[in-house]
Amino acid sequence: MKDNLVLRVNNLSKEFTNNNETNEVIKDLSLSVEENTFTCILGPSGCGKTTLLRCIAGFEDYAGEIFVDDVLCKEPGIDRIMVFQDFNQLFPWKTVIGNIKFALKKNGVTDASEQEKIAKEMLEKTHLSGFEDYYPHQLSGGMKQRVAIAKALALKPRIILMDEPFAALDAMTRTELQNEVLKIFEENNITFIFITHNIQEAIMLGDRIIVLGLGGEVLIDEENHIQKPVTPASNGYGDLWKKLHDSLYLAKR
Amino acid sequence: MNSFMKKHKPLITKLIFIVVFLSIWEYVSIGNKLGPKTEIILPSLGAIGKAFVKNFVQGYAGQSLWIYIGNSMWILLVGLFIGILLAFVFSGLSIINETFRYIYDFMVSIFDLLPGIALLPVVIIIFGIRVEVIIFLVVHSVLWPMSRNILDGFSSIPRIFIEAGKNINLRGLDLVLSIYLPAAATHIISGLKSGWARAWRGLISAEMIFGIASSPGLGLYINQMRTNLNNAEMYATLLVIIIVGAFVQYGILQPIENHTIRKWGMVR
Repeated sequence: MKDNLVLRVNNLSKEFTNNNETNEVIKDLSLSVEENTFTCILGPSGCGKTTLLRCIAGFEDYAGEIFVDDVLCKEPGIDRIMVFQDFNQLFPWKTVIGNIKFALKKNGVTDASEQEKIAKEMLEKTHLSGFEDYYPHQLSGGMKQRVAIAKALALKPRIILMDEPFAALDAMTRTELQNEVLKIFEENNITFIFITHNIQEAIMLGDRIIVLGLGGEVLIDEENHIQKPVTPASNGYGDLWKKLHDSLYLAKR
Repeated sequence: MNSFMKKHKPLITKLIFIVVFLSIWEYVSIGNKLGPKTEIILPSLGAIGKAFVKNFVQGYAGQSLWIYIGNSMWILLVGLFIGILLAFVFSGLSIINETFRYIYDFMVSIFDLLPGIALLPVVIIIFGIRVEVIIFLVVHSVLWPMSRNILDGFSSIPRIFIEAGKNINLRGLDLVLSIYLPAAATHIISGLKSGWARAWRGLISAEMIFGIASSPGLGLYINQMRTNLNNAEMYATLLVIIIVGAFVQYGILQPIENHTIRKWGMVR
């Protein structure tokens, strides 16, 4: 075992009950994640990848144990910040900078000028300078996701959990945001866990790629050594793509 | 000119409607079109205008209409304040405690359907004929619709706001104040609108049924005008009731809406 593990998931099981029908979404899943790594989790719809992320975030009850830095986590907390797929995750009653400052204020940054400074710095990192005083409804989907990322960064979490954050964006904006996330990852000491159903996205971003099958069964778990920035012309891209693709479609069967 | 017309079309339409309405009124009134009783049924605009001024200058029983308006508004404000405060407190507690939520939801469903006026006899037995009775009725009128709206608002908040709130370590009261209340603002404001309207109507009705000598209000005034067959004064008082209602709607509620949910893009 490596000793720089930031996340350990032990024997996680999760079932949903609906009209007396019990559906076991995740069955006895165990995995661990090293510090400062970018893990992409791929899987077909219904494989439990979002549920896994929600369990880690503390939004769900489950059987099993989840440790962050060897501390048992049952409740949501700012050590694990979630970036949702839904663009409407920002509070519409607060401005862009207000959303970030509020999160800081509620977590020990009481000095207003300090809140302002951190928020501005994070907005600059996500290329949102000049949009501080906009309300969320005045922003495009891509910009809203940037604010959500800026807010996550401002809180200095141990892990940023991303649940298909770019799935609803157009292809150009998605590529742009992928590159920005990659840059943020390289410049900061933060662990990313990124859920996607897009194979290309997983290869572009992840330095570790996990494929989940039905019931949260780990089908593939391997490191991605393709040199970044990854393009379809990169060495090894085709082989990895095919391998992931095959296992995904096998899983779906 | 054309663009001016287009821009102000809603206002111009309303103005034309009012002018046409008043013209018909005056035509019927002056021409005695409703027979010999026309003057009593529809007093002329001039008579109503004079009565309007007289209401304020001379008033009734030695007191200007201002005093009556002031009394009514004071009762209304006190009642609204208590009612809205209780609605927030009880609805907030419903979020924090499940047992309380079941009970309160049940109570709201029952009392929301109970007209305040129907409670009047019971309340008079308890309190006697005092100003508190009317305050109680105003509180009753506003509390339940307001609570219903807040509770419905709370249950329709997107889960994502609550999870995002919990994610930044908000819990309990903090979560209610920082997330539930603003996220339910659309419902809260529509609760304010229907709550205030019910309170205003309830207040005037209660005052008409029994006026309190220690605190005579608008309802009492209009009822006295009716008993004394001062019909022009009665219409003039109706006008005052309409003006007060419009003032609250456009002078208070509309700005609140513009500065919150409209600014936040929560309504179009």
